[in-house]
Amino acid sequence: MLSVRDLQVRFATERGTVNAVNGVSFDLHEGKTLAIVGESGSGKSVTAKTLMNLLPRSAHVSGEVTFNGQDVRALAAAGTKHFFGVQMAMVFQDPMTSLNPVKKVGEQIAETLRYHLGRSRSEALSEAQNLLTTVGTPEPERRISQYPHELSGGLRQRVVIAMALACQPRLLIADEPTTAVDVTVQKHLLDMLDELRRERGMALILITHDLGVAHGRADDVAVMYAGRLVEVAAAETLFEDMRHPYTEALLRSIPRINDPAHQRLDPIPGNPPELIDPPDACSFAPRCDYAHADCLDGVPELSGQLGQHRFACLHPTGGEDSISSNRDTPRSGRD
Amino acid sequence: MRFLARRLLLLVAVLLAVTFCGFSAMNLLGDPLTNVVGVLAELDCDAIAAGTAPDTTVDAASSDCDTVAAARAQYHLDRAVPMRYLLWLGDLAIGDFGTSFQNDQPVSAVLREKLPETLLLLVMAQIVSLGIAVPWGVIAAYKANRAFDRGSTVASFGLLSVPNFALGVILLYLLALRWQIFPSAYESGDFTSRLFSLILPALTLGLPLAASYQRLLRTDLITTLQEDYVHMARAKGLPPMRIMFRHALRPSMFSVVTVFGVSTGTLIGGSLIVERIFGIPGIGREIVTAVVRDDFPVVLAIVMVVAIAFVVLNFLVDLLYSWLDPRVRTS
Amino acid sequence: MLRRRLGISFWLAIAWLALMAFVALFAPILPLTDPTQVAFGGPRESPSLDAWFGTDALGRDVFSRTMHGARISLAVGGFAIAFGMLIGGGLGILAGYFRGLLDQTVRFAFFVLLSFPALVLAILITATLERSLLVVSLTIGILAVAPVGLLSRASTLVFAEREFVAAARVLGARHGRIIMRELLPNVVIPMGALALLGMAIAVVAEGSLAFLGLSVAGDDSISWGKMIVDGSGLRDLQNAAHVALFPVLVMFVTVLALNFAGDRIRQHFDVKELAF
Repeated sequence: MLSVRDLQVRFATERGTVNAVNGVSFDLHEGKTLAIVGESGSGKSVTAKTLMNLLPRSAHVSGEVTFNGQDVRALAAAGTKHFFGVQMAMVFQDPMTSLNPVKKVGEQIAETLRYHLGRSRSEALSEAQNLLTTVGTPEPERRISQYPHELSGGLRQRVVIAMALACQPRLLIADEPTTAVDVTVQKHLLDMLDELRRERGMALILITHDLGVAHGRADDVAVMYAGRLVEVAAAETLFEDMRHPYTEALLRSIPRINDPAHQRLDPIPGNPPELIDPPDACSFAPRCDYAHADCLDGVPELSGQLGQHRFACLHPTGGEDSISSNRDTPRSGRD
Repeated sequence: MRFLARRLLLLVAVLLAVTFCGFSAMNLLGDPLTNVVGVLAELDCDAIAAGTAPDTTVDAASSDCDTVAAARAQYHLDRAVPMRYLLWLGDLAIGDFGTSFQNDQPVSAVLREKLPETLLLLVMAQIVSLGIAVPWGVIAAYKANRAFDRGSTVASFGLLSVPNFALGVILLYLLALRWQIFPSAYESGDFTSRLFSLILPALTLGLPLAASYQRLLRTDLITTLQEDYVHMARAKGLPPMRIMFRHALRPSMFSVVTVFGVSTGTLIGGSLIVERIFGIPGIGREIVTAVVRDDFPVVLAIVMVVAIAFVVLNFLVDLLYSWLDPRVRTS
Repeated sequence: MLRRRLGISFWLAIAWLALMAFVALFAPILPLTDPTQVAFGGPRESPSLDAWFGTDALGRDVFSRTMHGARISLAVGGFAIAFGMLIGGGLGILAGYFRGLLDQTVRFAFFVLLSFPALVLAILITATLERSLLVVSLTIGILAVAPVGLLSRASTLVFAEREFVAAARVLGARHGRIIMRELLPNVVIPMGALALLGMAIAVVAEGSLAFLGLSVAGDDSISWGKMIVDGSGLRDLQNAAHVALFPVLVMFVTVLALNFAGDRIRQHFDVKELAF
């Protein structure tokens, strides 16, 4: 349904060109969930914003994005009405700032219904109330006429989700939907999103820095680093047989419920690289435990075909062989 | 509610202080009787009444002495200054502004006749300036740092550097005399012709104000457009101008509203000038005439009315905030 | 360094202001015609080599009058802003440093001053007193007191919190010394940065009073505002627009230069403008 091919996003800044997204390609099928995982600055949010045509004018975008056969970037350029927000919708990270502080919650939800679907004010408001019920908001009839600052963070994020769902989008992009929310409600929100996706048969792109969030919810997982995809696979495959050292490091850096007590967490050493004038080398090499000299000779390509387990590493971990095995670049991963 | 109560208390205090300052100016700067009745203060009325005055001043008629006596009574000049102020305040409260020295009319009647013209002019000027500034600021913010925006920065800087009497003369020269689009002077008569003849004066007052509103609005809008909820609105697929007007404009109006009250003070000052250029029979022209003729009751009354209106307006502007930002209401 | 950051247009503005200041100072001894000489030329003559800006309704030389007009405009403007800074700045520092009751009183006084529309307050004062150069300057100076005072109070508050003030206090410095040695030099910079902007406002205010016939009295006192009102009668505008438009132009360029240079200096010292 959604296919992205060789997406590149560059920003011209005073200090040089920032290569925010570099040659990203993936497919997403109807009703499936794709998790895009990576640290901040890895380009995952820029990718999402590119899909939604939210980048500032200074961004230079190339590549192809098609949605049910339509060229999304052409639709955006032509100013096509009733596409964004109707076919594709988005939920932002911080519910504290993504609601307009001077408009009542109900109006903000009803707005899309009125603009895109031509509902009358009262119809739209009662639909907004139903939507609030759908996303599990208590006392929706009261919430309708409240202002965002009168709601808790979790409630606000429910409102944001209700807003995004208003026009029954076929694809929902959720950009770190739970990062800014109280830990206790994170799981509720994620499970609710998952359930809504299943009920409505809509596709979901779940953007997160937390591999744990993807676990059990995503059908496919794409790991991003420094503007590139470094490993893409079906979720079970990835969690059982991760090949890229970065993926492994990501997983080791998060606590897990069944870890023994006092288990040390391994944070990834160093910082994500600068995206201005990146060297022609594996961008993870400086932080990688398994780096070899040849990692600095050019950027490793993603292995394999679309739809297969792909990774961009000369010395992948795991697999049949031991970590230290020094073999040729695999042509394909195991599926 | 406590917020409101405190604001009201401050309002009363400021009103008292403002009226006291105005009243003191008359009573402490120079001789109060001279201030009120001008040269008549030098009449030796006791002597005239007693018939002992020199012949030259007997002609000065006892009616002048009546005027002096009336002024003494009106401004309670036989009392101490603080008492004088309180008594005068009492008169003010019941709408007794005294009598114009120039034409023996009650000052309240003068106000009733002249005030509406000035009010109409001020309202038109604010409408004109907001009417220009809002679209101008929105487009400038939308095209921030592009040619239109740069040009409008220069234009507004220039506009803000034209003194309004100079702008009035230029507009009068160009639009009324050279191209003859608008009348060159105020036209009394039916409401529409009055409105039409007030367009040029309103432009004179409103253009520089539009420039300053535009600068403020543009800056605030650019900040607002970075907000997540504007991105959210874009993600909802709303068209740019709808986002501008429905989402970004209202939260970007704070600076404009803040200066709205202050700028009305500037406008009132400006109306003195503009009324003179275009011959509008408002309180601005009246106060200037009154100053030149030493008609102090009229001057004082107009200053008081204007200052009180200005203070009350700024109070109302404060209340407007809570409409603009619902968060103020609960905090 | 300074030159590069402020840019060429800043120095152009300064050059114009220097020229105006020079003309204002030396107008009586410059080779200008007598600005009060009636029938220097015919009435309402167009600009020519003899009278660069033409002549007015009484045949007086508009160029010479415009140059002489700079005297009152700039003198009142400069004096008024100096007065405003002295009184307002002083009160602001005292209020910001000592806080408490003094602060509240001063702030209330400023608030009351700002509650009068500026020109109306000016009229109230000029109506009761003789309209001499001093009175007009003081009147406009009073208008500057509250805005300047609020600014100096605000910056005093900032600096009074800084370590060097606390250190001076710990070392046992007396209040007077702290204010003069530690606070004043720091508060003067933001105030000074706004001086030119304030002067622009003062020049316009004087022009407004003059336009209303309420500025410095006397037939030989020439000011731009007065020239503009004299030349803006319908007959004059119709037949000899230059009588009004030349002083308008010179005044506009002067105010523009003050605003522009002032704005650059403000940006240079990164001073936030108060909304007045």
